[in-house]
Amino acid sequence: MKKHWQKPTLEVLDMKMTM
Amino acid sequence: MNKENVLLFKEKVQQVKGNIVSDMGGEKVMLNIGNGKYYNLGTIGGDIWERMSEPVEIGQIIADLLNYYDVDREKCEEEVINFLLHLHTEKLIEMKCD
Repeated sequence: MKKHWQKPTLEVLDMKMTM
Repeated sequence: MNKENVLLFKEKVQQVKGNIVSDMGGEKVMLNIGNGKYYNLGTIGGDIWERMSEPVEIGQIIADLLNYYDVDREKCEEEVINFLLHLHTEKLIEMKCD
């Protein structure tokens, strides 16, 4: 049985790596 | 399928190495070392990401997804190509030429 499809999305998260 | 798509599907894509990838509750989360940004690829996006560990034709990715997921071809092609273009814009994948 095939798996349910969802639209693939690239979510840019609102945080950045800091040094 | 139009001529542009035929050409595009022959293109090979591969992950850009050096990003830190982790699974969080079934979703793929990534840190791009180059720009310091975090991304959430979700579950399907994470599946597509894993298929690009080695150079692979876009058409092959779509064919595999059509076998694995319950989705029609046109919808799958459009959504996967848009997703790959977004990954490419963020420099997370690269096009590989033979």
